[in-house]
Amino acid sequence: MFELLHRVAQEEPGRVAVLTHTGSRTYADLAADARRVAVALRREDISRFAVVDHEAPVVVPLVAGAALAGVEICQYPPVDASEVADLLARFDHDVLVTDRSDLAGLGARVLSSSALIGGREGEVPEAPVSRPHLVLTTGTTGAPRGVRHDWSRLLRSSERVKPAAGERWLLAYGLHQFAGLQILLHVFAAGATLVAPAPRRPREGLAAMRALGVTHASATPTYWRFLLAEMRSDREGVPPLRQVTLGGEAIPGPLLGDLQQAFPDAAISQVYAASEFGSTGSVRDARPGLSTAVLDRGDDADVDMRIVDGELWIRSRTGMLGYHGEPAVDADGWRATGDRVEVEGDRIRFRGRTSEIINVGGVKVHPLPIEERVSAIPGVDMARVFGRPSAMTGAIVALEVVAAPDADPAALKAAIRAACADLAPAAQPRSIRFVDDIVTAGSKIVRRDIQ
Amino acid sequence: MGQPAPDPKETQRHMSTSPAAVQQTVVDFLTLTAKMRDDFTPDMPLYAGGVGLDSLETAELSATLEDEHGSDPYSTGEMPQTLNEILAFYAAAPAEA
Repeated sequence: MFELLHRVAQEEPGRVAVLTHTGSRTYADLAADARRVAVALRREDISRFAVVDHEAPVVVPLVAGAALAGVEICQYPPVDASEVADLLARFDHDVLVTDRSDLAGLGARVLSSSALIGGREGEVPEAPVSRPHLVLTTGTTGAPRGVRHDWSRLLRSSERVKPAAGERWLLAYGLHQFAGLQILLHVFAAGATLVAPAPRRPREGLAAMRALGVTHASATPTYWRFLLAEMRSDREGVPPLRQVTLGGEAIPGPLLGDLQQAFPDAAISQVYAASEFGSTGSVRDARPGLSTAVLDRGDDADVDMRIVDGELWIRSRTGMLGYHGEPAVDADGWRATGDRVEVEGDRIRFRGRTSEIINVGGVKVHPLPIEERVSAIPGVDMARVFGRPSAMTGAIVALEVVAAPDADPAALKAAIRAACADLAPAAQPRSIRFVDDIVTAGSKIVRRDIQ
Repeated sequence: MGQPAPDPKETQRHMSTSPAAVQQTVVDFLTLTAKMRDDFTPDMPLYAGGVGLDSLETAELSATLEDEHGSDPYSTGEMPQTLNEILAFYAAAPAEA
């Protein structure tokens, strides 16, 4: 990633790379910071480390400096000290870089982020052939896994990004997420500006859109649903976005229409990407799902897809090398994505994750179509469908609903039952609860029972 | 984690295992699912030959009882045949509230 910063810094050193409510960093600033980090990592003879800091002006130089030095960096999510200790053990990290004061004594050698970034100048190390990078999955279906990448593959898709110096992209993902890394790569490859509010919740994102001139924003469908609810609630105006991008989860069709209505001047695009296989490009026709044109593109394509027994498979030259602690995979081979799909006309429609299928008395139920149906009911702000254990049938379809502030729960429950009455009996929600918020991980809905 | 939004009517009987509260839960459930019969009695069989709950409806009743009263007989391996047997379960079990 250093080369992206360096290239813009050579062209226009003072161009703003990262903008927050409290300040900004130019491309030249970040490139210089990254060089100092690389020098310090080499001097300390560090080969891999974990990071527990989350602000872009800190994380970007650490990631770029580690890439420059060929040192494997892994950013942890924002969790408490005991969970950091678990992650250190799980991913065999004995060096921890952080400015947090509560992480000493966890068994790892602790280095200060600000000390690394503000360290001495020195000779920039020669870029090694292997430049590893480790990304943790969000853990929506269980404990996070470490996904091993190499920068030579990660940077392939950024070669196709067109220069766009005037764009201001909202950072709506955590930088510990693969999607956050993808945003960094896209923004810096375009020579654009990253707008990084903290924390990265929809409310703060909406405020940053309004105050910091955001023109482009990429987030999960769950994030966008919350952001639309915030907009409806505060009625303080619509940010003048030029592009709205969705990814990270299956995208309900009605949400695309809602976003187009809310942001009439914005192009709506969808990205299909994952920590394991990288980004596959974007769909810009504002229709749900992918075009069937992505299937069977042949060996020359960087990314190819096929459908096997209702599951999408993918071959990607930008994908992972394997999981931490497991044997390497065939990096250019075919992999199951875990996404259940169906072809409808010229579209590939997503029906949910294989791991999220609910087995109701032997009948397999996909949660996503039920969520879509319930989310379209007036008075429903958000919905989450998951399997709830049942002594009678193994599991039942359970539904959690965030109701709009003025909705009547009894009437809404009746409307939900009516809207689902024509579903197969096994697919009808048998447990409906109203909640104040929906369980998410990395701005994605968690579709497993967490009671 | 999602937190249940309070519903005043449900809060009043939530976690109560009194016979009146449990009976009200069952009657409300049968009414909601259009299974309530005019001649319903606490001794009427809940399944075939009586109210006619199928396995999914019984699973739904099980979840409803658990949500309302903190436990339910089905989840402990019992298979109560009538409302009276459901009431007997709560009478024998300590309240979990």
